[in-house]
Amino acid sequence: MSFTLRGRIESRLAAGIAPLLAALGLAATITEWWPLALAGTMIGVGLAFEIVLDRRVDYQPGWASVPLAAFELGAIMGIVYALDISAPLTVALAFFAGSWLLGLVLMHGVFPYVRLSYGEDGGELGRAGAAVAVLVLVSLALFAGVALAMQPPTVHLSAGIHEGPLILDHAQNLVGEPGAVVRGGIVVTADNVTIRNVTVIGGENGIEVDDAHNVTLDRVRISGVKLDGIHVRRSSVAIRNCLIHSPAGEYAQGIDISFGFDLAPSVVEDCTVVGGREGIVTHFANAHVEDNRVSGTTLRGLTLTEMSMAMVEGNEVTDALGVGIFCGDYSECEIDDNSVHGIRPDRASGDTTRMGVGILAHYNAKAVLGDNEVSDSPGGTRAVLGAEISRSD
Amino acid sequence: MSATKECAIVGGGLAGLVGYATLRHRGLTPAEIAVFGTDPDPAGQWRVRAAAIRQRRMRSESDGHCAPRSFPGLAVRASIRRKSPVPLVESWLDRYRPTVGEFLEHVEEVRGETGWDESFRRRRVERISAADGGFELEGLGRFRHVFVATGHPGLAVPPELERDPRAVHAYEPHEYRENVEIVGAGMAAATEWLNALAAGANVVSVRRREPDRRPLNLPRQFFTRRGLAAFHRTDSAERQALLRGWSAPSYPAGRAWDEPVERARRAGRFRVAAEVNGYDQVICATGFERGYAHDPLLARLVTEHGLATAGNWIVLEPDSTVGALTNGERTLALAGVAGQWAFPAADTLMGAKYAARGFTRKVEACRSR
Repeated sequence: MSFTLRGRIESRLAAGIAPLLAALGLAATITEWWPLALAGTMIGVGLAFEIVLDRRVDYQPGWASVPLAAFELGAIMGIVYALDISAPLTVALAFFAGSWLLGLVLMHGVFPYVRLSYGEDGGELGRAGAAVAVLVLVSLALFAGVALAMQPPTVHLSAGIHEGPLILDHAQNLVGEPGAVVRGGIVVTADNVTIRNVTVIGGENGIEVDDAHNVTLDRVRISGVKLDGIHVRRSSVAIRNCLIHSPAGEYAQGIDISFGFDLAPSVVEDCTVVGGREGIVTHFANAHVEDNRVSGTTLRGLTLTEMSMAMVEGNEVTDALGVGIFCGDYSECEIDDNSVHGIRPDRASGDTTRMGVGILAHYNAKAVLGDNEVSDSPGGTRAVLGAEISRSD
Repeated sequence: MSATKECAIVGGGLAGLVGYATLRHRGLTPAEIAVFGTDPDPAGQWRVRAAAIRQRRMRSESDGHCAPRSFPGLAVRASIRRKSPVPLVESWLDRYRPTVGEFLEHVEEVRGETGWDESFRRRRVERISAADGGFELEGLGRFRHVFVATGHPGLAVPPELERDPRAVHAYEPHEYRENVEIVGAGMAAATEWLNALAAGANVVSVRRREPDRRPLNLPRQFFTRRGLAAFHRTDSAERQALLRGWSAPSYPAGRAWDEPVERARRAGRFRVAAEVNGYDQVICATGFERGYAHDPLLARLVTEHGLATAGNWIVLEPDSTVGALTNGERTLALAGVAGQWAFPAADTLMGAKYAARGFTRKVEACRSR
């Protein structure tokens, strides 16, 4: 079809109404902004493509919609990642595919059926088109405005030492400038808190998250604390790119996420944990533990226990005493693509299950193992006390 | 004086049918529309010409139909009828060309569904005269709105061949002799090359210039507002030049056209020449007479009403109406080749729809309705 620029914009916006309404419904249902952000991104990218195409293409054959959609999808996903829009990948792809198909049906079937001169008008929809365009753009602007207005404030932590503990009891983004250090810990008790680029030194726990949801800890560095580097209770968190040096104290752990089984899964990703009794531990929690590096622990490298449900993927556990990865006490664990190396026997404990076991399923736990690499660990892989190990295909 | 009636369609061919279907779609009853023509079959004349050149497929695509709505087009209908997605896929790839049979079947459907025969009157209109609140069709009554779709004025034959007994026009029934010269280089000529070669003839293509190769009569953007907006902004001289340029011969690219010709060329059965040169049959694939002056009805209309013209064309408004004779109470629109000043591909089905929609909008907006 030979579209006019106005025709491209009106058709695109009219085709965007249904996806926008669907996104609105989904956003209201799950009380999240990402569906609207995704729909807005799709419409925005679509309009940008239309403007670019209008200058370059006099006639757009039907088949061109496929390669154009591929380019468009690439651009949308790039923006989704760049803006950190937290849309699940499969949902985002399905949403795009559905919207694209609907657009095809509308532009090739419904619009020409309803409006006699749709084709010869180059896709323009007359007065209805202008009204639709205004409606969609105003709606998007409204949603964006409300979303922005509801975003938590950003607090910048200047370079230098700040005495803690800092108590974050309302939604906010705490962003540290280079050299920003908190001495004495941070306590988060509010939902929708992000802490980014902050170093924490000392205190009981480095960062403590209590009864809070949608908390993100990104690029935090923690050292010199007495107990846990990151201590999470009854909360759902996303912890990314962290660095934790735990002391060898009797109760010190790198990251402890506990008692959030009924909450959204927590994520620990791309973190480095050195020392402590346990590097990363979950009790009665849902968690994805991925691509982390844990070393020098004195009890276990990774522990998933007390009816936890966990996916443990792509982690590297080295130089641990006793056990590398532990799935225990009725927990269910998917353990895949991990590298476990140099797990030393804990002869002093006298516990036969701690004799350098790379992966241990313990006390009625169920572990599904994928393609893990266990080496230099004399205990190998074991299941004890009614636990089961099975292999994924 | 008899009462003024609503709408008249002058011309009972395909463009007339498109105009009729569009008016009916917008709610006019058969009683409100009179169609004047010489053959009740709207495809009657077209059918004869298509048969003469043994045309099997349309040059137009899925949108080239007579129904008022663009969708569903012929590809969708063919897919449903054949229970196969192939026509839709072909359309998606811009490779769908309806067969002549499918197109004629569709014309019959539209004819039946719209009640065409209820409105058709077998009368030739000799004169259209502007009158108070409408137009007087000589001897046929007064109508508020008139849609003129008289079609091509006649077959064009080069003057030097007019009295040549060897010559036949491509659109007249004919067989092929052993040695055939085919004058012209457009779609009909290309079709005739293949026909004559398939019949075993030796073919000389007589042409003075190489044809353009394009899928449709015009670049596609000139079928929509994208190209039309710029076309409508041109001044008279530039527009005439554009229309003359687009009237140069063309036919689609593709192996189906090229391979038989190339095989025959290698076998010494096909060659190109600039002049007719003594073969025993000359087929004139030279199209139609060009210009309103060849149509007595239009020529009289221009002369009697002092209408503005530019070269071969009657000057029209962008919606295909004659501005000098159209106002809030009456409408005169030209469809078919006579409408080229408004829509350069006016002699296509898309062109007929363009004129029909413009005409219908005027009828709907008429103060007397």
